[in-house]
Amino acid sequence: MSRLARWRGTVLTFSAALTAALALIAVIMLSLDKAPLAAAQRFIEGAIGTPSARADVIMAALPMLLCAAGLLLTFTAGLWNIGVEGQVTMGAIFATIIARTIPRDVSDWGIFAALIVPAELLLAMFGGALWAGLAALLKIRGGINEIFGGVALNFISVNILLSLVNGAWRVGTFPQTAPFAPAALLPRHPELRLSPLGIGIALAAFVAVFMALRGTRFGLQLRAIGRNARSAGILGVRVERNIFWAMVACGALAGLAGAFQALFTRGRLLPNISGGIGFMGVLIVLLTGVRAAWVLPVALFLATVPIGSLKLATSLDSAVQIDAALGNVFQGALVLAVLIGGGVRARLAARRKERSEHG
Amino acid sequence: MHVELQNITKTFGSLRANDALSLHFAEGRIYALLGENGAGKSTLMKILSGYQPPDSGTILIDGQTVTFQTPADALQCGIGMLHQDPLDVPNLTVLDNFMLGRREGLLPKRSAAREALAQHAARLGFQLDPFRYVDSLTIGERQQLEIVRLLSLGARLLILDEPTTGISAEQKHALFSALKRLAAQEGMTIILVSHKLEDVAALCDEVYVLRSGKLVGHRQMPTPIDTLVTLMFGQSLPRPTRGAHALGEEILRVESVSLTARRLTVRDLSLSVRSGEVIGLAGLDGSGQSDFLRACAGLQALNGGRILLAGAPIHGKRYPELLRLGVAYAPSGRLEEGLVDGLTLTEHFALTASDGAWINWRQAAALAAEQIARYNIRGAPHSPVQTLSGGNQQRTLMALLPKNLRLLLLEDPTRGLDVESTAWVWQQLLARRDQGAAILFTSPDLDEIVMYSDRVLVFCEGRATLVTDLDDPSRNPAERLGELIGGKNL
Repeated sequence: MSRLARWRGTVLTFSAALTAALALIAVIMLSLDKAPLAAAQRFIEGAIGTPSARADVIMAALPMLLCAAGLLLTFTAGLWNIGVEGQVTMGAIFATIIARTIPRDVSDWGIFAALIVPAELLLAMFGGALWAGLAALLKIRGGINEIFGGVALNFISVNILLSLVNGAWRVGTFPQTAPFAPAALLPRHPELRLSPLGIGIALAAFVAVFMALRGTRFGLQLRAIGRNARSAGILGVRVERNIFWAMVACGALAGLAGAFQALFTRGRLLPNISGGIGFMGVLIVLLTGVRAAWVLPVALFLATVPIGSLKLATSLDSAVQIDAALGNVFQGALVLAVLIGGGVRARLAARRKERSEHG
Repeated sequence: MHVELQNITKTFGSLRANDALSLHFAEGRIYALLGENGAGKSTLMKILSGYQPPDSGTILIDGQTVTFQTPADALQCGIGMLHQDPLDVPNLTVLDNFMLGRREGLLPKRSAAREALAQHAARLGFQLDPFRYVDSLTIGERQQLEIVRLLSLGARLLILDEPTTGISAEQKHALFSALKRLAAQEGMTIILVSHKLEDVAALCDEVYVLRSGKLVGHRQMPTPIDTLVTLMFGQSLPRPTRGAHALGEEILRVESVSLTARRLTVRDLSLSVRSGEVIGLAGLDGSGQSDFLRACAGLQALNGGRILLAGAPIHGKRYPELLRLGVAYAPSGRLEEGLVDGLTLTEHFALTASDGAWINWRQAAALAAEQIARYNIRGAPHSPVQTLSGGNQQRTLMALLPKNLRLLLLEDPTRGLDVESTAWVWQQLLARRDQGAAILFTSPDLDEIVMYSDRVLVFCEGRATLVTDLDDPSRNPAERLGELIGGKNL
C-alpha cells in the first residue's frame, strides 16, 4: 500500500471513529433532555474560543505530550509501560522535594534562584527514571512482565504520595502541601496561564524522541526489538540493555510531566497529582499506532476534551449543563472506536490481500 | 477395521511431501512407517488423522471412501493419533484432560468419567492417578493418558509418532506390551512412526519405508536391519575426496558438557574443534544437536561442564559479546530468529554495522546495495525482508554475518532451499572455512552431513558419539550414520 493510501486510511478511520464517539455522546445527551448541538457549540467555544482557553488546552496537552513521547520509545520496543502513571507520580514527588523548601522570598539568592527550576526538573526526571528503571530491572532480571511490574509500582507510588501528603508534607486541614513559592514554579507568561519554558521543553523532548527513532542506532535497535527481540539478539543487538534505557528514558520524560503537574498545573503536591495523564499518554500512543508524527495533533485534540467539558459543567444554561465526566466517556468511546476501526481495517486488508492472491 | 490409502499426494510449494502413496493397513497388525526426516511420514499421518487434507487421493475405511475435515472427524471414524509432543492441557488434572473431547453435553459426569478412565487404563496395564496435574507427569505418563483418552473415544487405529523418544525403558516396555495386547486381543491396528530400527524390530509386524515422499519398500518383519537402512537412506553418493586444507589452532573446546534438550538430557559431551574444520551434527529432531549449537553461542545454559572459545570460558558471556569475539549463530527459523519481519534490507545492514550512535541512511543503503549485488540477493535495499523468498532470506543472513569469523554455528543452513541455493550457501561457507573459520552445523539430511563434514557428532538417546572415520571405503557413510542415529550400536 502506498504511503498516501495509508495516510488516507488513517484519516478516514479517525473521522469515522470521531463520528461514532460524537453520536454516542449525542444519544446520551438526548436521553438526558439536553441539546447536543448547542452543547457542541459551547464546547468548542469553551475549548478554543478565547486566548485563555487556547492557553489552557496547550498547557493541558504538554504533560500528555511528554508521556506520549516517552511511551513512543517503549512501545516501539514492544514494551507496554503501564507503569508510566507511577513514573509521573514519582516525578511530581521528587520535584516537590525541592519545591516545598523554597521560601517565598529568594531575592538574596542571586544566581542560585535561576537554578531552582532546572534542579527541580532534573530531580523529577531522576524520580521517574528510577521508577521506570525498577520496572525494567524487574523485567530483565526477574522475568516479570513490565505490565505487572508497572501496575505494582503504580500502586506503590500512589501510596507513597498519599503517605507524604497526609503526613510529613501535609500543611493545613486537607491532605496536600502548601502552595509552592513563585520562585519554585515554572515561570509563566505575564497574562495567560502559559509557560513558554514548559512549551519549549516539551517540544524539545518530543523532537528529540522523534529524531532518536528516525536517525539513531538506538531507535533502530528499539524497532528491531519491538518487531522480534529474538532475531534482534541474533543480529547482535543487546536487547536487555536497550530495553533498560528505553524504559529509563520514558520514565525521565514521565517524571518531567509529573513536575509540570506539580509546578504548574496544580502549584502544589496533592493526591491524584498525575490526574491520569500517564494513561492519556498510553491512549495517545495507541490511537496513533505508535507513529510519532501523529502524536502532537492527537495530544492537542485530546486536551480540548477536559477543558471544553469543564466549561459545559460550569455552564448556567440547563440545556447544556452536564457533568464533566461525560468528557471522559467521550475520550473512552473515541479510543475504543479508533481501535475497532484499526481492527476492521486490518481485517479488510487481509481479505483484500487474499482476494488478490487467489485471483 | 481395514484402512486403505490410495494415491495420496500432498505438495507444499515445489516440495512433493507425499507422492502418490498407496498403503494398506489391516486389522490386528502393527505397522512401522520408516523414513528419515523429511521423508513424508508426518505429512501422511497428518492426512490420515484429519489434521490436513491431501491434494489428491482417497482414504478408504472398510471399503468406504471417507473425507476428514478435522481430527475429530477422523476420531469419529476410529482413527486416533498420538503426537510426539502430547497435545494435552498441562495445568489441568489427568481426569479433566481425559474428559476433554468427550461428547457428554453441558454437565459431564465426573464419576462416570473417572470409572471410564480407570477401566481403560486397566485394560492397558497403565496406572494413572486421576487427580494429578498433567504438568507433573513424565512424558511417558502423558502418552499413556493420551492413549487411554483416544481409546475411550473409540479409536480403532492408533498412530504413534516417535513415541519412544524421551520415555524410560520401563515405560517403553509397558507401552509396547500394551500395544501388542491391543493388536492381538482387540484387533486394533497400530502404526508406529519412527526412525528407531530397534523399536521397529521389537514391535512391528510389517514395515513401510518412505524416502523423499515416495514409498520405497514394504517388508514383513523380521527383515535384516541393514536392508531397512539401505531402503531408508538409499545408496548415498560416494564421499567426495576433498583437498587437504590446513587445520589451525583449537578454537572451540567442549569439556564434559551436560545440557537439557527438549525431551532429554545430553550428558558428557566433549569435543575439540580446530580452525578450518567442519563438524556435522546428526541426530533425530530434538536429540540435542540444536541445543548444543545454542549453548556454544551462549544462548542456552549448561547443566554442567564448560565451553571454551580459544582457551577462554564463554560462561557468563551473552551472544552479542561472543559475536564480537567472532562467533556467529544462524538459526533455521530465519524469520523467527535471525531476520526481523518488518524491517527493510537497508535497516538490517544498518543494524549490524556497528559504528556510531547516528545512522547515515544513505551510506546504509549503499552498503545494502553492495551486499545485494555481492550475494546475489533478489530484492532491493528498501524491500521488507519478509517479502524475500526463503533462498534470498538465507543469502541475506549470510550477507549479514560479520567478516572475520572464527566459529560459525549453523542450524540446518539449507532448510527449504532448492539445489542451486544449497550449493551457493555451501560455497560461501567453505570459503569461510578456507579463511580459517570452524563450522558446526546440523542437518536432517545425512547426505549433506557426509558431504561436507570432516567429523560428525551423532546425537542419540542423550549421548553424543564422534564419528571420525567417514572415509572408510568399506562402508556407506550415510548408512553408518543412519544406524547410529537409529540407536543400533547402543
